[in-house]
Amino acid sequence: MPERHDWNNEIRRRLAGLHLAPAREAEIVDEWTQHLEESYEELRAEGATDDEARRAVLVTLSIPELAGDRRDFAPPGAAGSGNIGADLLQDLRYAARNLRKSPAFAVFVILTLALGIGANTTVFTVINTVLLNPLPIKGASQLVAVDTLATGTALRSGQLLPVSYLNLEDLRDKNQVFTNLAGYTPLMPLTLTTAAGSERIFAELVTANYFETLGLRPVMGRFFVPEEDRTPGAHAVIVIGYGAWQQRLGGAADVIGCTMRINGLVFTIAGVAPEGFKGVNAIFGPDIWVPAMMAEQLLPAQLRNALRERGEVFFHGAARLKPGVSMRLAEANLKTIAAGLEKEYPDANRGHTIALRSLAEAAQGDTRQSALFGGIVLMAIVGLVLLIACSNVANLLLARAAGRRQEIAVRLALGAGRGRLIRQLLTESSLLGVLSGAVGLILADAGCRLLWSARPVEVAQNFVDLKMDAHVFVFALVVSLITGLLFGLVPALQSSRAEVVEALKEETRTAGRSRRRITFANALLVGQVALSLVSLITAALFFRSIQRAYMIDPGFQTDRLAIFMMNPGQAGYGRARTEQFYRDVRTQVSAMPGIASVSWSSNLPLWARLSRGILIEGQTPQRQSDTVTAVVDTIDLSYFETTGIALTRGRDFTDMDRDGSLPAAIVNETMAAKYWPNQDPLGKRFRFSGDKFLRQIVGVVKTANYQSLNEAPQPAVYLPLRQNFSDSMILHVRTERDPAGVLTAVQREVRAIDSHLDVTDVRTGRKIIDQALFSARIGVGLLGVFGLLALGLASVGLYGILAYSVNQRRHEIGVRMSLGADQSRVLWMVLRQGMMLVVTGIIVGLVVSFLIDRALSKLLYGVSATDPVSLAGASLTLLTVAALACYLPARGASRVDPLVALREG
Amino acid sequence: MESPYMEMPNDREWKKGSAELLILSLLADQPRHGYDICKLIEARSDGALRFHVTSLYPLLYRLEKHGWIQGRWVEKSGQRRRRYYRLTPQGHKALAQQRQSWQEFVGAVGRITGIEYA
Repeated sequence: MPERHDWNNEIRRRLAGLHLAPAREAEIVDEWTQHLEESYEELRAEGATDDEARRAVLVTLSIPELAGDRRDFAPPGAAGSGNIGADLLQDLRYAARNLRKSPAFAVFVILTLALGIGANTTVFTVINTVLLNPLPIKGASQLVAVDTLATGTALRSGQLLPVSYLNLEDLRDKNQVFTNLAGYTPLMPLTLTTAAGSERIFAELVTANYFETLGLRPVMGRFFVPEEDRTPGAHAVIVIGYGAWQQRLGGAADVIGCTMRINGLVFTIAGVAPEGFKGVNAIFGPDIWVPAMMAEQLLPAQLRNALRERGEVFFHGAARLKPGVSMRLAEANLKTIAAGLEKEYPDANRGHTIALRSLAEAAQGDTRQSALFGGIVLMAIVGLVLLIACSNVANLLLARAAGRRQEIAVRLALGAGRGRLIRQLLTESSLLGVLSGAVGLILADAGCRLLWSARPVEVAQNFVDLKMDAHVFVFALVVSLITGLLFGLVPALQSSRAEVVEALKEETRTAGRSRRRITFANALLVGQVALSLVSLITAALFFRSIQRAYMIDPGFQTDRLAIFMMNPGQAGYGRARTEQFYRDVRTQVSAMPGIASVSWSSNLPLWARLSRGILIEGQTPQRQSDTVTAVVDTIDLSYFETTGIALTRGRDFTDMDRDGSLPAAIVNETMAAKYWPNQDPLGKRFRFSGDKFLRQIVGVVKTANYQSLNEAPQPAVYLPLRQNFSDSMILHVRTERDPAGVLTAVQREVRAIDSHLDVTDVRTGRKIIDQALFSARIGVGLLGVFGLLALGLASVGLYGILAYSVNQRRHEIGVRMSLGADQSRVLWMVLRQGMMLVVTGIIVGLVVSFLIDRALSKLLYGVSATDPVSLAGASLTLLTVAALACYLPARGASRVDPLVALREG
Repeated sequence: MESPYMEMPNDREWKKGSAELLILSLLADQPRHGYDICKLIEARSDGALRFHVTSLYPLLYRLEKHGWIQGRWVEKSGQRRRRYYRLTPQGHKALAQQRQSWQEFVGAVGRITGIEYA
C-alpha cells in the first residue's frame, strides 16, 4: 500500500508552478488526495495490482490539460491570489498568529531589539541633526560661507578667519557671483534686564540682508530692512529666535512692537525667526539677532570699531550663489577681489585672501572634525549593541526552532518548499523587526529627550532641536528590516533543514537541538561577549579620557575661581564712574572673608572672542605677510595672581601703567617664541593695526587656553585696564575654599556698592570647564550607557543559552550524579562550559578592540588606546557579570535531582 | 505500458465547450463531491467522456469563483472528509441559460450538417 504522502508529493509537484498560498494549496491537496485515493481503491477492488493501480492513478494526474490557469485555483472570494503580495499577507497573518501564541517570547524579542534599534535611532537623530542636516534651510546647497584665509607666512597661515566688516561690504558690492552676501558675528553674550532681574542672552549682529540671504521667512513680524543697515546706532530693533520667544516671552502672540532692555538699551522686537532656526550654528545658537549697525552700542569697548576698522576680522560671511555658479567659480571671483583689497589696504589685508566652503560645514565650525569622528564612533558602538541584541534573538529563535521542528517538519512533509518556508520564517522575523522598530522609535524619542535634558537649563533654547524627521524614520525602518533579516536568516536556514522523518518520529524534546545548532549558538555567544567587551573598553577609554581632560591644565586655575560679568557701560556709566566702580569692587571684594585675590579681565575664560592684527616694530611686513593676530585681553592689577597664570619674565602691570605713561603690554610665551625667537622680548615694541602708537612689552607669561580646552597654543597680548579702558569687564575672584560658597556673597557686595549694576553670568571655574566639556560629557555618557546596555544584553544571552543547555542536559546530569558525581563537580562542569565561551570572547574582544581603538586615539585626551586600566577594568567587569550569568544555571544544574531527571528521561 | 485507463485524446475539445454544462447539470438535483461527479460523467457517457483530477478540479474552482457552485467540507461518521459542491441560485440561472444556448448550438449544427438531433 502506497503511503498517502505519495499522492501529496505528486500533487504538490503539479501545483508547484502555481505558487499558491499555503492554506489554499493544502486544501487543494487534501481534496485531490481524496479523489486519487478513491480511484486507487476502486481500481484495486476491480482487481488491479497495487503497482498497476498506483500507476494508473498517477498517470491521470500527469495529464497536463486545463491545469494551467492558476487563477482557477485561488480560493473563492480571495482578491488576486497565489501571487507574492497575497503570500506576504498570508505569511504576515500566520506570523502574527504565531507571535500571539507566545507573547512572552514576542515581548522579550521586541524589547531586546527595541533597545538596540532605539540606541541606533537616538544616535542617528543626533548625527542627522548636527552633522547631516545642520541648517534647517531650503536650498542650503546654494549657500556658502565666506572666510578670510591667512596665507603665506601669516601667523595663522592656512587658517580660516572671519572677515572685517569693511572687507565684507566691498566683497558684497564687487562680486558677480552671489545673489546676496550677508555678514553675521559669533555669538555675543549680552545682558537682558527684566522686571525679575537680569540674565545673560546670546545675540548675533547681522547685516540687514542676513535672513533674506538664507531664504527665511519670519513666523511673525518682519526681518531687517536695508535702511537698518545704513546709520550706525539708529535702529534699535531685534529679531527674536523662536525658542527665546517661546521660553522667555511665553510665545505671546503680540510680541511684535514690544520692547526688551538689552545692555541697558531698549530694543523693539521687529520679528520672530522660524522655528528650529538657530543661526548658522549646528548646535548652539543665539536668542536674538541685532542689526550690525548696533555694534557700537552693544559690543564691549575694545570691539567698538568693528564697523570702521578694516583689520578687525569679526564677521562671518554667508552668501547665496547665483543660479548656475559653482563654488569654485565664485571662489576665483572673490580671490580676485581680495587681491585688489590686499593691494589697496596692505596694512589690514596683507596675506589675506578669501576661501569658500559650504555653509553647512561652517555651521559645524571648529568642532566638525571631532563631531564627525565622534559620530562615527557612537554609531559603531550602537551598531555593536544592535548586533548583540540580534545574536541574542537569533539564539532564542534557534532554541524556539527546536520546539517548532515538528511544525516545520509537518509543513515540509506536506510539500512546502524550503524557499517558501524560509520566506515564511523571515516574514516572521521581519515582523518582529518592524514591531521592534516601532518600539525603538518610541525609545529613541525618549532617549533624545533624556539626552537633551542634559542641556544646561538656562541656555536650553539656544541648543538646536533634535528632530526626528523623515530621515530618522527611514533610518529606523531600514535598520529594523535589516535587523529582522540579520537575526532571522540563520535560524531560518537551519530550521528549514529539518530532517522530516526524524523530526516527525521524534517524541522527546531532548534531542531537539543538534550539535551543529549548539555550536552555532556558542559562536554567537563568543561574538556577543567580544562585542560587548569592545563597547565596554571604548566606553572606559573615553571615560578615562574625560577624567584626564578635567585634569588638563587650561593654563589658569579653576578650583578656586569664580567669575562675575558686569557691564557698567551698558548702565550708562561714564569712564570716570566706571573706573571708580572697578576700583571699589576690587577693594571691597578682596576684603571679604575667604577671598584670596580679585581682578578684572575683559575676556571670559575659554570664551575669548577678540583677536587683533598686530604689526611688530622692526619686522617689516613686506615679506609675504607678517600680519600677526593675537588674542587680546584687557586686565586689571593682580590678574595673573588671581588666575594662577605664571609670570615668567619681566613684571606685572602696576598702578603706574596708566594713561599718559608708556603704553605697556604683556605677551604670552607662544607670542614671544614666535616673533622674538632667541631674543629677549622685554622692551620690544609692536602696535595693533589701526592704532597709531607702539606698545612696549614689559612681561611674559605662560601660555593658557583662551578659546577651548584643546586649542593649539596661540599668541596672546594682555593690556593694562588703566591704559585701555573697557566698560564691560568680568570680575575674577580667587577664593580660599570652594568658590561656590562665595557666589551670592560677592553679588551682594557688588549690589551694595552700586545697586544699579546687574551681575550677569556668574560661574565657578569648575562650571567653566564643565561647559567646555559639555559635548564630550554627553558623548561619554552615551558611550557608558551603550557599554552597559551591551554588557546587559550579552549577559542575558549568556544566561539564557546556558540555562537552556542545562535544561537539555538534565538527563545526562542526572546520570552523572547517580553515578557518583557530586554537586560541586556538576557546578564546575557547567560553569566551565560557560566560562570557556566567555574567556574566548574576551580574548577575541581584546584583539578586536586593540585593532579598532587605535583609530580612536585621535579623540582621546591623554589616554592611550591600549590604556591598561581601561582594558583590565572592562575585561574584569565583563568577567564578573558573565560569571554570575553562568553561575545561576550552573547552580540549577547542581541541584538536579537524579531520580527525577532519570525518570523524565 | 499503455494504461487501460488512459483517456481518449480527442475529447479535450469536447470538454472545453461543454464541461461546464455537464457539471452544472449533474449538480442541479443534489450536491456532489468531485469523485462522484467524475464517476457519474464516465458512467452516464458510457465511458466516452472522462474527467480527471487535473481537468475536473480547475473547472470546479472556476465555477466556484463565478459563484455558480459552492464547495463545503463535509465530515460524515465512518466516511472520509469530502468536499461537496452544490449549485447556487446563480448557478441555476447559469445552467438554464447554458442549456438553452447548447440546444440552440446543437440545433444549428444539426441543421447545417443534416444530423438529426434526438
